[in-house]
Amino acid sequence: MEPQDRRRILEALLLSSSEPVTAARLGRVVPDTSAREVREDIEALNESYAAEGRGFRIEDVSGGHQLRTLPELARFVQQLEPVPPLRMSRASLETLAIIAYKQPVTRAEIEHVRGVDAGPLLRGLLERRLARIAGHREVPGRPILYATTPRFLEVFGLAGLSDLPTLREIEELLRDRLPDGDDGAESTATSDDGAVALAIEDADAPPQTH
Amino acid sequence: MTNPTATPPLPGAVASLFEPITDAGSACAIRLSVFEGPLDLLLYLIRENELEITDLPISQVANQYLEYLDLLRELDLDLAAEYLLMAATLAWIKSRMLLPPDAGAEADEEGGDPRAELVARLLEYQRYREAADALGARPLLGREVFAAAGAAVEEPPEAEREIEVSLLQLVEALRRVLRDAKTPDGIHEVVGEPITVRERMVLVIDALERAEVIELEELLRGPEGSAPTRSIIVATFLAILELAKLATLRIFQSLGDAGAPEGPIRLRRAGDPSAARAEIA
Repeated sequence: MEPQDRRRILEALLLSSSEPVTAARLGRVVPDTSAREVREDIEALNESYAAEGRGFRIEDVSGGHQLRTLPELARFVQQLEPVPPLRMSRASLETLAIIAYKQPVTRAEIEHVRGVDAGPLLRGLLERRLARIAGHREVPGRPILYATTPRFLEVFGLAGLSDLPTLREIEELLRDRLPDGDDGAESTATSDDGAVALAIEDADAPPQTH
Repeated sequence: MTNPTATPPLPGAVASLFEPITDAGSACAIRLSVFEGPLDLLLYLIRENELEITDLPISQVANQYLEYLDLLRELDLDLAAEYLLMAATLAWIKSRMLLPPDAGAEADEEGGDPRAELVARLLEYQRYREAADALGARPLLGREVFAAAGAAVEEPPEAEREIEVSLLQLVEALRRVLRDAKTPDGIHEVVGEPITVRERMVLVIDALERAEVIELEELLRGPEGSAPTRSIIVATFLAILELAKLATLRIFQSLGDAGAPEGPIRLRRAGDPSAARAEIA
């Protein structure tokens, strides 16, 4: 089969799939095509998309390949989407990061790192299928173990868990002098989620610091 | 939104964490830059005051921390217990720092700096915070990038707080039912009736046509008083797995408030049962 014909089929398969598809699976559908050829074709397709300035590309996510829109077009796509864009609070991201790097991990271990109750956050992550229950640890009380899901890789655009950025070493943090390290970057990244509105009685009195 | 880095050191910093956003009427809504917990608040104080984390001036940090808690209390905010626990920890470390070194060494089996554990926790938390920032900065599916939709997948109603059950939990349920099952009592059990998984699949489909949701264990135990044998239970279990594979049913459990699955495992009709019937016929 000519490369051009294979690529047409691949495009059609990726367009019609709602989940990432592995190269092996694509190779089984396209006649006389190996997984390696599929990967080469995908690379060639991406090159041609970039050359032609198309609005999408094929991404490697969660062990497979998926046709996705380009990030710079987000604000347009969002207007067409019937559902509000995904929101991830900083608390959820922190909890998810701990699960991702330490998995399988118990709730107590997560709470030890963050210093706060993890129950509602874990429930949210389970509901959104970003985390899953991966069994029990065989210690007294048999605590539930949490791990990430293929959906987590999909949402965060990761090819696999090994694709996670390396967690910084403590020594490195210290070299950086921790206080200067993050320059309040987190407060801008998730600003809206970190704020709550509440009512107090006196409109004029500024908050007292005693 | 308050930008914590732009604020002067305490006590001014504490006040500037709050900024009025409306002043309609006598009640005023204020915006609170919420910390993600005591560790987050401590890191903030350390960053604001440019303190050396490896040589933390614990007395200064503890005082500022308490000032912040006082402010929250004045605002009648419910303080999470974690904040109070941290206040106690800080006070304890502070008192330990005041002890003469020799008295401390005697009383303290761990020896070393009383601040060490807190500093280790702060650094550990900082690591994951950075990792969280890195994750959050990625182009997320449904936020910055959107996938080809393919055929629409019908999701179960989210309001029901259900999660798909793991195989492990299914096997546990099976064990529970088998434990209660009739044990073969000697010679009477020699001539067993032949049981096929296919046959049990038909029965499960029948049940799913009558009710959209069935409890797993109810189905395994069979109708009231039927006392199925172990082989019948196992065959029914396999039939359920087979039907799940055919997407005729989905296996669910509710999520409790603690975020853990609880309550009975339930089967929900997913596809068209009659189509499944045709497939296995």
